[in-house]
Amino acid sequence: MQTSTASNDMAATEAQGKKRKPRGDWIPTNYDLRDTWFPVSHSRDVTSRPIRRIIHAQPYFLWREGGQPMASEFHPTQLQSMMGAASALTGGSGLYPVVERYGYVWAWYGNPDNADQQLLPHIPFLPLDGDIPGYTQRTVRFDAASALSVENLLDLTHADFLHANTIGDGISESDVVEVEWTSETVTRTRIVTQKSVAPIMRWVGGVRAKYQDFRAVLHVHLRSNVCISYPRFRPGYDVPNLQPFLPVGKHRSRCDVTFNTTAAPSPFRYLMPRINYIIQPQDNSVVRPQNQRYFEQPEQRDLHSRFDAPGTRYRLLMEKLAKRQREGDFSYGSDADPGRDIAALLGMDG
Amino acid sequence: MSSSAWWASALSEAVNGERPLPVVYDGEELVLFRNTKGQALALEDRCPHRRVPLALGCVVGDAVQCGYHGWIFDGTTGACTAIPNLHADERVPPRYAARAYPVAEQNGFVHVWLGDGEPSDSLPAASYQPRGREFTGSAVVSLQHDEYLAVMLDGPECLIDFEGVKITDFFLGDPIRRENHLVLDRGAVWTTQLLPANFVVDYPLILRTSVPLVGGDIRVDLLTAEERLICSVFVASGANRRRTTSLCWRGFMHDHDVEGAPLRWRAMRAARRPPFTVSSEIDGAQIAALLVAPSRDLTVLRQQSRIPATAAV
Ligand code: FES
Ligand SMILES: [Fe+2]
Repeated sequence: MQTSTASNDMAATEAQGKKRKPRGDWIPTNYDLRDTWFPVSHSRDVTSRPIRRIIHAQPYFLWREGGQPMASEFHPTQLQSMMGAASALTGGSGLYPVVERYGYVWAWYGNPDNADQQLLPHIPFLPLDGDIPGYTQRTVRFDAASALSVENLLDLTHADFLHANTIGDGISESDVVEVEWTSETVTRTRIVTQKSVAPIMRWVGGVRAKYQDFRAVLHVHLRSNVCISYPRFRPGYDVPNLQPFLPVGKHRSRCDVTFNTTAAPSPFRYLMPRINYIIQPQDNSVVRPQNQRYFEQPEQRDLHSRFDAPGTRYRLLMEKLAKRQREGDFSYGSDADPGRDIAALLGMDG
Repeated sequence: MSSSAWWASALSEAVNGERPLPVVYDGEELVLFRNTKGQALALEDRCPHRRVPLALGCVVGDAVQCGYHGWIFDGTTGACTAIPNLHADERVPPRYAARAYPVAEQNGFVHVWLGDGEPSDSLPAASYQPRGREFTGSAVVSLQHDEYLAVMLDGPECLIDFEGVKITDFFLGDPIRRENHLVLDRGAVWTTQLLPANFVVDYPLILRTSVPLVGGDIRVDLLTAEERLICSVFVASGANRRRTTSLCWRGFMHDHDVEGAPLRWRAMRAARRPPFTVSSEIDGAQIAALLVAPSRDLTVLRQQSRIPATAAV
């Protein structure tokens, strides 16, 4: 695993930008990465009555048979008659590989022969069997490609402007951001000391102190846009959450989130999972116009500051992975083990 | 002929020092605001950091601050003057900037220079000299800009209405070229008159439309048969996205008695009712039914005007 700490390397980023000129700018709307598990739905939404989800342009019909989750390219009533039209993504069977874990139904996107449960991400704060109260689960939609939504989540400095009234506030004593990565993941750790207590913690969380320390780890799986986030506030609570951005075409993404606030007091426990309903429209107001503009051939490429280090690292890694897949290599690198235990990485033990 | 790339792009009163105003003219997405001295400024409505419209941000002093990460751009030069949370000894690289445009304000319009090279001195709205009370507005209409200009010649009644006046489609001659405009007169009658318009021997009113060969400044005047101006309207137009057209306009009544005006019309004016309405909803069927007549000259001339001066030699 490689790491870097945010430092005054804006000049370095700039120089790098010049060197890369012929490659053109980042295009977040073009990623279609394969051979990965996508959490296509909360488990509780999959019943005997079929529902339809989409990954890129591919339909995923989900339902249960004898309690077992099923995922198909076709509505179950048409499965037999449509079988002949089945794509390579189901190996001609019409049925996708599917697993149920952490309160989600995970379906494979890619060559079904490569589907391997070992490749499911490890999510230490969610019960394997998915036994978690319904209030922790919510669905939000973004009017942007999944990669742009992930970049927004990795991006720290926008909270102070876009979300100033809910989670942001610029003042703190020290603020250190570290980024580490493998060929399949990027992890951002932010350690902040003596920051003024976020409005939601103060008003709803009952945190009376003026300042709090916090450590927030965000672990992103590049292929699946599964974002595993572990913020710890002291004084305050842990708000571990899963935000998996399902790529629904080039212009939209869907996020079936889980905020495991079961250890936090009420009403914070119930309200925090709903905070996305406030934050998401704020994020949407920027990613929506952004998404369109990433389709336009720019005269001028994006500019960066050193605060964008996690995002620029993400862009770089996504480009590398996409390039590898374009060349026909869908394997996982030796440094990548998506299923490895990340409890320590998330700082859950500390 | 000196072709001008000045575009009247907003009403002066719509541009302020608090909320940035997004407009699109000649296909360019712009954000307009005022600095602390009250000067109007224009930047490209696109943050060079992550492409978010700057219009979503706010005006701070002489600059606009992007609403996403708070980068600050000077309104005059476009230079990025601050990135939040940088240490005191860190500098923003000098090439970090949003595109800035020359701006000039005159007669209630904010003009933006969208061409290359040095801006010329003459502004489109220079000819608009209002007196007394003005009637203003803005809209985006679902008609492509070139078509909008063509319809101003072929059938202005589809785009503008003068209260109590019926605009006929009897053109009084062919369009005449006056500098950068094509000017066309047509007959008009009071709606209160008993005789149908086609039985009128001589029209009591003239509608004069003046359509630009370059840029988007349209002028519509209502005159008496004696060529005395009754009402003048300046409509600034320009291409918006998806083949729509941005408009903003100002107009006023000339201050003299209109001989032969019906009582009802006089009463309306006394009651200070707006003498004209620029349509913000355009009737597609009405447009489709219009014959292409005087605008034939316009299409040819506008295309010729598009050839850059250097290439025309
Ligand atoms: S997009 Fe404008 S400051 Fe980041
Ligand atoms: Fe956000």
